[in-house]
Order: sequence, then C-alpha cells, then structure tokens
Amino acid sequence: MYWVSVFTEAGIFAILALGLDMVWGWGGDFDLAFYGYLALGSYMTFVLTIGRPTPPVEYILGWHLPVLLAVPIAVVVVVAFAAVIGSIALRNLREIYFAVLTLAAVSALYIWVENYTQLFDGYNGVYGLINPGQTTLRLTYNGYRIVLLGVVLVILLLAYLLVQRISRSPYGRMLRSVREDERAAAAYGRKIFTAKFRTYLFGAAIAGLAGGLFAIFVSAFNPSAWTPQELLVIYAAILVGGRGNPRGVIVGVFVVYVGLIELTRFLPSPASRPDFSPALRQVLIGLMIILMLKFRPEGIFRERPGRDEPGKPARPAIRQFRTRVAAATSRAARVSGSPLGSAPDEGGAG
Amino acid sequence: MSTFLVAVGVGLATAAILALSAVAFTLEYAVSRIANFAHGEFLTIGAYAAYSGQNISHQNVVAAAVIAAAAGMLAGLALNIGLIERFRGRSPISVFIATLGAALIVENVLIMIYGAANVSYTFAQGNLHHVGPFLWTTSDIEVIFSALAAAGLLYLLLQHTRFGKAIRAVAQDRTLAQVSGIPARAIVMRTWALAGAVSGFAGFILAETIGTFGPQLGFNFLLLTITATVAGGIGRPYATLGGALIVGLVIQISGAYTSSAYQNVFAFGLLVVLMLFRPNGVFVGRSMTAVRA
Repeated sequence: MYWVSVFTEAGIFAILALGLDMVWGWGGDFDLAFYGYLALGSYMTFVLTIGRPTPPVEYILGWHLPVLLAVPIAVVVVVAFAAVIGSIALRNLREIYFAVLTLAAVSALYIWVENYTQLFDGYNGVYGLINPGQTTLRLTYNGYRIVLLGVVLVILLLAYLLVQRISRSPYGRMLRSVREDERAAAAYGRKIFTAKFRTYLFGAAIAGLAGGLFAIFVSAFNPSAWTPQELLVIYAAILVGGRGNPRGVIVGVFVVYVGLIELTRFLPSPASRPDFSPALRQVLIGLMIILMLKFRPEGIFRERPGRDEPGKPARPAIRQFRTRVAAATSRAARVSGSPLGSAPDEGGAG
Repeated sequence: MSTFLVAVGVGLATAAILALSAVAFTLEYAVSRIANFAHGEFLTIGAYAAYSGQNISHQNVVAAAVIAAAAGMLAGLALNIGLIERFRGRSPISVFIATLGAALIVENVLIMIYGAANVSYTFAQGNLHHVGPFLWTTSDIEVIFSALAAAGLLYLLLQHTRFGKAIRAVAQDRTLAQVSGIPARAIVMRTWALAGAVSGFAGFILAETIGTFGPQLGFNFLLLTITATVAGGIGRPYATLGGALIVGLVIQISGAYTSSAYQNVFAFGLLVVLMLFRPNGVFVGRSMTAVRA
C-alpha cells in the first residue's frame, strides 16, 4: 500500500508538471504562482463536497456535490483566477519581472487564505473528503486506493497524449517560436499575448485538475501544504527530465519524487528533530536545481525539434536557417537585451 | 491622528531596515546584472549568526551586530564565488532560478541546524520614548540611527573612495572596466562581500525589531526588498533609499488601519502597480511608451 500511495502522489505531481511545462517549457514564462492553482483547485473541491461547516470551523459554500461535478467546477474557478493574474502578468512583463509578479500574487493569496478564516478556515484548513464514492463502488479501503491510483494514471496518460498532441501541432510550434524570439514571432503576425494567455489558462486548468485529485488523495488541506517552496520540487523535476519534453517531464517527476523519498526514507532522523529529514530533502532539491542548470540545462531528455511532417525531421536547409536566426538573435540580444527581461519602459528602442 | 503618527514612526524604522536590504540587493544587481533570490538568506544568516553569538558576545548589541555582518559577508562571498561567477554568461533567468535553488538550500540547512521553530533574542527592547510626535522603543531608535549611519557610510564609500569609483565603473560596463585596468573580478567579489555584510546587519536589526524569527525571515522580507528596489529604480542605490521609505510607510500605515496581517498584501499590490506602470522607479519620468510585443 505504501507504494500505491507514493505512485499516486507522484502521478498527481506529474499531471501538475505537464501543465507547468506548457507555461515554462514552451511559453518560457517562469511562473511562481503555479502551486497556488493546485491549492485553489484543492480548496474548491473540498468546499464543494464536504457540506456545511460546523462552528467554529468556517468556510465558504459548504455544498454537498458529488466529486465528479465538484472537480470541474473547481477547475473553472482556478482558470478564472489564473485569467486575472495572467491578464496582468503576461501583457508586458517577462522573465524575472514575470516571476516576481507571480510570486507576489501567490504570496498575497497565501496571506489572504491564512488570515481570512471565512474563506477556507485559515490556518486550520479544510478536511473531511474521505474516499468519495467508496461505498457506491463497494470497495475496501485498500481496493479504493488502488482504483484511485489507476484513475490518476489514466488521467496522466490522457493529459500526456493531449499535451503531446498540442506540442506537435502548429500551435505548439508557434508557442515555441514566441519563446525563442518574441519580436520575430510578432513580426510574423503571431498574437503574442493571446498565445501566452491561452497556454497559461490551459496550464492552470491542468493544475486545478491536479488539485482536485490531490484533494481526494490527501483528504485534508491547509496552508502548510502549499508554501511557495513546494513548487521548486516540480521545477527540479522538469529540469531533470527535460524542459519542453512531455515524456521527459513525467520521467523527471517519478525520478525526483520517488527517488528522493526513497533516498531519504532510510536516513536516521533524530527523534528530537522531526524537521531534519524533510529539510535535507529540500536541500537535495536545491542542489539538484543548481547542478542541472549548470551541467545539463536541457535535462535527460532533450526537447525535440519541431517537425514539418509527422515522423520526418526538419529539412537540413530549415535547420541551417534556424541556427543562423538563433545566432543572429542571440547577438542582437547581447547588444540590446535588458538583463532582467523586458518591462514596459525598457527595450523601447527595438 | 495618533494611530497615524505611531504608524509613521514604525514605518520609518521599517524603512530604515528595508533601505539597507534594498541597497545591498541593488548593489548585487549593479555589478552582476542578476536578481539574487538568495538575497533574503543573507539576512536570515545574519540574524541566526547573531542568535548563536548572543552568549559569546555577552548580550552586547554591538558585538552581535558585528557577528551578523561578518556572517553575512561570508555568505555573500560564498554565493558569489560558488554560484554567481560560475553562471556568468548564462541567461539571467537561469541564474535567477539557480539563486532560488541556493535560497532553498540555505533555508533548509538553517532548519537542520536550528530547527523550524521560531527563536528570539534576549536583548532588552528598552523603554518607550516620545521623540517629537513619534513613539519609539530604544531599539527602534538604535535601528533607525544605525541604518542611517550605515547608509551614510555607504554613500561615502561609493562616492568618495577608489573602491566606490571602481564599483560604479564595473556596474556600467564590466568588460570596459577590466580593459581600463580595474580588477573587475576582485571588485565584484568585494561588492558581494559588502552587500552581504550590509544584509547580514539588516537581518540582525530586522530580527530584533520583529522579536521572534524563523528560517523564513529573509525570504519573507525579500519581496518587500524587491518592492523597495523597484520603487526606487533597480541598480540606482540612492533612489533605492527613497523607494524603501515609500514601501516602509505604505505597509505600516495600511497595516495600522486594516490589520497587520495584511500589510504585506498592500506592498505586493504596490509592487504590481509599479511593475506595470513605473518599472524604472517612481523617480524617473516615463521614458518611452510601452512595448506590447
């Protein structure tokens, strides 16, 4: 049963990572608010299913919907929230400005949820979604956990197929061209904001779905479960697996997540210091991020080049052209680029 | 009215700490052209070093401050040598992610050493004093004056020494400074040591003002630091002081009239507005119209 639980959690994080990889890997936007979307999806799933709060516990809604209905509603709420942040952040903030703004947004959300108890019961959090549908399906507790793992893996597979399909579509290639050179893509008539915004919403929807699954998996949720640092594990996994490569991302999550848990599980943790082992795990994640960035920034699985036809690599002439364009743009970027990415008043000379 | 004046008084103390942290952040940016997300950890390291040194220094505030600054300086040097210089020439966003990884490492090493629970100093906070219209504790006054002194020293250092001149030259163009005979690498390293020392000291006075602190002290203060830096205009040390003043007053006054739990939300709101409309700071006119790529 231990392994079932580890793989279920890893599967949920893999779904989340697929969404994040669309935003960061293809869109090129380093989003620090992403874990907030998982949290919001989780919270919404709770308050839509667990029924009225009994005082002193308090939270909004308190409906009693079936989970299959609650998760899609949660996804819609998450997408609406992401639309607000995305429409502000994606318009003309890039790179570090974008990262800082999304961090500010998720920090504000965090402070709000923690202190405004009417929303999701503040620091105590919400709980009580215990194995929804277990009685209907007439399963034992263990049987239910195994079925849940199956459901998560099926959703992961579907998400992977969908993401892979989008990745190879003209839309996916267009998105990558925007990432590589926004001005060139704009010059070719691509609508930069629309492209990035749609990707952002799609990524947030996947995060919301992962949040719903997470709610079913953990059956309790409070602010300590979604500190901004949690997201770095997902980024580490994407870096290890290979940014922009959906298959690599999934492998990365399983390697980082399962590998780390197994590595640190057998470490002696002093009884007086319960924080020791989790902290060590975070240190390893930090190290992994730095080492991957330094020595193999493309990850285990490289991002695949765009293809003209399924199954055929790009023609040599096109590849040559691409290298020349890349060289020219990086030269140009060295000359005129702003080191922190672009903000509205900068780069106006272009 | 008195609520307002008390808030302004506390705001000035906050602004003084923020100013030191933000100036250090902007110095790091100026010489290395990166946004250092491990900057907050310099403050945390300073605060914890002073905590460890409390007994050695026999409750002497000055000695504790020196220990904090020294620890911050070592941290600044270590980050520059171990990470920033090794990532030279890489895209700013990947250096940024690497510093985020470094922040995660430092924070959790501190948890492994000191535990995740909050700790507090045993220095006396002193009595309340009415200074003009404001209400300050002895330690508030010490904080404000030491921060002013540190800012003054920084000004003299940057403006009237050869080292300061070299920092400004490297900040403008590292390669050009190098070919003009300035040992750019050494200057960058010393700037990081300086920034680390200033941050370590800022971390100590921040922890002393708050009372209790944990391993997240610096990271939580980082967004405020960035807000102050953006308000002043990144890479411009003197304007940053003005930015710190604005942010310090905004959070304390808004916190006094709503709830102190939400004061940072106001700062983040300010940050968003600034980044959208005044990304080069409030002290410069809008140079060009926005580029909507």
